Amino acid sequence: MSVVGKDMPHDSAVGHVSGESIYIDDMPSAKNELLVDFVGSPVACGHIKSVDYSEALKIKGVVACYTYKDLPGINKFGPIIQDEVLLCEDHSSFIGEPIVVIAAETRKALAKAKKAVKLVVEELEPALSIDAAIKKQDFLDKTYRIARGDAERVLKEAKHKLEGTCIIGGQEHFYLESQAALVVPGEYDQLVVHSSTQHPSEIQQVLAKVLGLQQNQVVVVTKRMGGGFGGKESQATHPAGMAALVALKTKRPARIIYTKDDDMKFTGKRHPFQNNFQVAFDDNGRILALKAHLYADGGAAADLSTAVLGRAITHIDNAYYIEHADVVGQICKTNYPPTTAFRGFGGPQGVATIESIVQDIAAYLKKDPLDVRLANLYGTTERNTTHYGQLLKHNTLPQLFEEVVGSSDYRNRRKLVDKFNSESRTHLKGLALTPVKFGISFTNTMLNQANALVNIYLDGTIQVSTGATEMGQGVNTNIKMLVADEFSIDPKCVIVMTTSTEKNNNTSATAASSATDLNGSAAVNACQKIKRSMAEVAARHFDRVETGIGAFPDRIVFADGHIYDERRPHNKLKWQELVAMSYRERVSLGERGYYATQGIGFDWSKGQGSPFLYFTCGCCVAEVVIDRFTGQMKVERVDILMDIGKSINPGINRGQVVGGFVQGMGWVTNEELKYSDKGALLSYSPTTYKIPNIQDIPAALHCNFIDNPNNTVNVRGSKAVGEPPLLLGLAVWAAVKDALVYAGKGQVPKLNLPATGEEILMRLTELKKTTLAVKSKGKEPAKIS
Amino acid sequence: MRDFVLLYVNGVEHQVSGDDAFLSLSDYLRYSLNKCGTKVVCAEGDCGACTVFLGRLNAPKSGIEYIPVNACIQYMYQLDCTHIVTVEGLKVDGDLNRIQQSMVDCHGAQCGYCTPGFIVAMCSLFEQCDKGEKSCNVTRQEVSDALTGNLCRCTGYEAIIKAAMSVDEKEYKRLDNLYPSQTLISAFKKHHDEPVSVKGEESEFFKPTDVKSAVEYKSNHPGVVIVSGGTDVCVNLNKGRIEPKNIMVLTHVSGLDELKTSGNTVEVGARVSLRKLEEFFQETLPEFHHILWVFGSPQIRYAGTLAGNIANGSPIADSLPFLFVSGAEVEVAGLKGDRRIKVNQLYSGYRKMVLTDDEIIVKIHIPLPAKSTKLKLYKVSKREHLDISSFTAAISLERDGDKISNAQVAYGGVAAVVLKLSKTEEFLNGKPFSLDTFRGAGEVAMKEIMPISDVRGSKDYRLQLAANIMEKFYFETADEKELVCP
Repeated sequence: MSVVGKDMPHDSAVGHVSGESIYIDDMPSAKNELLVDFVGSPVACGHIKSVDYSEALKIKGVVACYTYKDLPGINKFGPIIQDEVLLCEDHSSFIGEPIVVIAAETRKALAKAKKAVKLVVEELEPALSIDAAIKKQDFLDKTYRIARGDAERVLKEAKHKLEGTCIIGGQEHFYLESQAALVVPGEYDQLVVHSSTQHPSEIQQVLAKVLGLQQNQVVVVTKRMGGGFGGKESQATHPAGMAALVALKTKRPARIIYTKDDDMKFTGKRHPFQNNFQVAFDDNGRILALKAHLYADGGAAADLSTAVLGRAITHIDNAYYIEHADVVGQICKTNYPPTTAFRGFGGPQGVATIESIVQDIAAYLKKDPLDVRLANLYGTTERNTTHYGQLLKHNTLPQLFEEVVGSSDYRNRRKLVDKFNSESRTHLKGLALTPVKFGISFTNTMLNQANALVNIYLDGTIQVSTGATEMGQGVNTNIKMLVADEFSIDPKCVIVMTTSTEKNNNTSATAASSATDLNGSAAVNACQKIKRSMAEVAARHFDRVETGIGAFPDRIVFADGHIYDERRPHNKLKWQELVAMSYRERVSLGERGYYATQGIGFDWSKGQGSPFLYFTCGCCVAEVVIDRFTGQMKVERVDILMDIGKSINPGINRGQVVGGFVQGMGWVTNEELKYSDKGALLSYSPTTYKIPNIQDIPAALHCNFIDNPNNTVNVRGSKAVGEPPLLLGLAVWAAVKDALVYAGKGQVPKLNLPATGEEILMRLTELKKTTLAVKSKGKEPAKIS
Repeated sequence: MRDFVLLYVNGVEHQVSGDDAFLSLSDYLRYSLNKCGTKVVCAEGDCGACTVFLGRLNAPKSGIEYIPVNACIQYMYQLDCTHIVTVEGLKVDGDLNRIQQSMVDCHGAQCGYCTPGFIVAMCSLFEQCDKGEKSCNVTRQEVSDALTGNLCRCTGYEAIIKAAMSVDEKEYKRLDNLYPSQTLISAFKKHHDEPVSVKGEESEFFKPTDVKSAVEYKSNHPGVVIVSGGTDVCVNLNKGRIEPKNIMVLTHVSGLDELKTSGNTVEVGARVSLRKLEEFFQETLPEFHHILWVFGSPQIRYAGTLAGNIANGSPIADSLPFLFVSGAEVEVAGLKGDRRIKVNQLYSGYRKMVLTDDEIIVKIHIPLPAKSTKLKLYKVSKREHLDISSFTAAISLERDGDKISNAQVAYGGVAAVVLKLSKTEEFLNGKPFSLDTFRGAGEVAMKEIMPISDVRGSKDYRLQLAANIMEKFYFETADEKELVCP
């Protein structure tokens, strides 16, 4: 009986509920350990004139202070473009950008030392908005473009047109465990770096570079993270780098733990976007052409912005066939911490744009937005090629729409919402269905590779090591199940080990939803290598004990903890017996597996290709109710339906779907990043930055999956599930926009994202004040920015 | 005078003195005792990851009452004669308890960082609940209410709710069974009434046991920081906003724990927790109960007090608008004796009270509104629960036939202090109870306030709310038949 497909608890669940799981700040401290912190730039853009830490060094317990001058290597790095520094030299480009690293023996001394460091920084004019960067024409990286057809011409000729700007806010990751690292120095300048990171190999590479070491001198170890969500991919390099500098220089273990406040203030977030669009459509709301110019706020350095923008451009179609499309994107350089990976990775901002456009088209044509969506939906046999030329295989979107419209009773509830809004004097309701079609694979083809190490011990137990990092998403549990299933043994015999660059080299980040796809496949490949050798041993054994069957490894079956020749199923070896036998026959019981995704590619110079192995799709119907006087909004009901192929672990997948949806709901509703006019984050702790609370979850939350056995390109027919459900949170935002249509009595309403209570109330007030602005369906495009 | 804090952690006695007595409980657990199950995330009582049980003598001193608190905003000097139970202390005979097991089975933990806090908060729900014979499972609303103070970024809460609802109350083994209360009770009874003072390297604290010595200490130590529930003070300590030399802890001052109705007035002792108040007002005054229900989290309400909310004096303190319109008074004790001050005359500026250096709040007197009074309390915040308000309001009035009389209006979040809107009140009095009147009152109110733009909302937003809330009041209090469509 296969363990794959079973609802097994997370492999760390018992440790989590008893408080016994160990995170970096829980690791026991060595006697001579140093605590590390830093002093960063007080201004968003500055010229550093002097740095004086002499008073800090006088404080009892303070051991060392370092600046960029103390870095033995090259103070320049970056995951795509090398434009970041570990420690500022003479220029600072965001508030909190590290300048001085401090090492002390106690927390008290550290706190005092931070106050004693004197910086003289001349404040320069910062760019603190996308508009400011556009005005300066200050962009990171080049302009990217994907185009099909002749959008320009179709827009000119079309009967209906709308144009406007979608303003989309960023998002704080709010992983519970803040950035953390513990670095233990060894002999010959070798370092063991315990880092709370999604990308141990990147930490290894960056640290070697800035510290002037060879990569083989740096071992990066990640047991687990207390949440990551993309925020511990490239952003984990600074804390690890600062602690490593201290460990290397002092030859003492060095630990850095960001406070939540500092983490929120000084590390990068989801990219805010400002997207200008022009759309042409017919009487049915079918989109004829779309022109869009996407501006992403990249912050002060390139980080992963190129790839994030790429995903926004490739996801602006979402579930809709757009015959004539011309999508251009640029990354604005501003003086905020470099914006970075965050679950969805640009996809949500692309999808938010088209979903907003669809709502506008429906409001303009006075149609139910569902009908506009259906008019544009990708087909199964035609109208099923994306704007960048990828053919949708086994497109399940039409099926998902049909089923969720039925199961959520959408049509009937639309009538009830109409009635409610015509009667209620105090409240307003909105209803929306939004889909998601999320491309799976890193858009940078090179990254779609992984390796795994599988070791079998003489008692039959197994250790598996891969480059995947565990941040709660359950990748270790998935891999454990895949490995147990390959040998058909009890999963209790398998442990997925701490991730370490010592065991798996040159790994890709645990990102792009693909950790199980890539690392699970690599682990399966390693298992299959061992199985082939073991099958030979077994075949020889059965040939010896049975009469006249010969030794044929192909006829050997691994099932339920036993091994037999399919022609003599009564004669079985126990798993442990075969392990011992293989060892005696000098057959390797440890192998490395390698996996590289086949059949993907993309050419950015042409904006064409098939970058994704497959798509994970879903739909969400959300209903909201709004207080007309305060703008306060409550989500009343949510219906989610997804196609995630065949689940390796349905319980873990459900957790990813519901958790992702709620995180997306937070992004589009109450999670608002507010900055001072100097560029300092004001909403830097949970007191002021409000992620969804248990009371915000709708009492009626239905989450279901369709059967789809067709995704044979991926391991065990599964589909990646980490990021796609986050985009379903947009249904809540669309429902708010839907409610505003009722309030606006025919106007196409504006709504920025997030739709906070304040945003909603101000929009309601505005709608009340303005008269019908959109009357003519003539040649002048209606401005709705 | 005793010179150490006596407490138990998971059944083991500790005597804490010197600098350790000035640590937060979470730091003490993690760095002094190496009990790292309790996690710290925000260090301000807003995420619940550090939730632990605090056990103390119950009112009749016959048992131990366990409440959930945020260990990051409980300092060691507040914890004399308490029993702290952490996540590590919840296993039953070395096995997961029923709730821990349910969280495993239901996928209630993903990254695990919030999980210890959720486990303790969830156990506290079962610790309090007594379903009797009929229903053995908790309801969804009870679960949500118990876990309001715990943030999870991974699960979306669904699995956590399911985990709690799957447990039969009778399968939960209570703390009294894990930690026999007799030892604790006798130790606490013995040491409960002893004053304590501990000197650290840079500061000292004093725990008096009567009002007189509290008043004397306060007058002799200008700048002393008074800690009771600590839900505001300890946040400021954690963030380095205050570095007090002297601290006075009111946890064991006798005579401050009483909560009773006297005639038409509710008397609330300064040590009465917001949680007790919430229970008390559930029947007595549902409107105020609602404000208390959305006030912070269970962890905050169990620790925090109404007196603390008043003394902290924030212009967005949730309790203040009601106390302003109801004519509540604080009773303060000082060297010269006791006196009473109307809450709406208590503040002289931003977070400044008119108390003299020796005075402390000992009681709050709240007159209950008459049955005929139309009273509405409003809290507008970004998130409904566990959020600091952007705007608050209390509107109370009588209807004399068609005419409005005795209008009382107080707004919070619209100036440096909570404002009593006398011009708006004047405008309302004598006017007919109609939509036009309230729209007019909204316009008057807008002119009477001076909101600023800050992280919780813009000036324009607050002005709009000031106007709209009048209209909302109309629709919520008017008889169905007199309603006009907006």
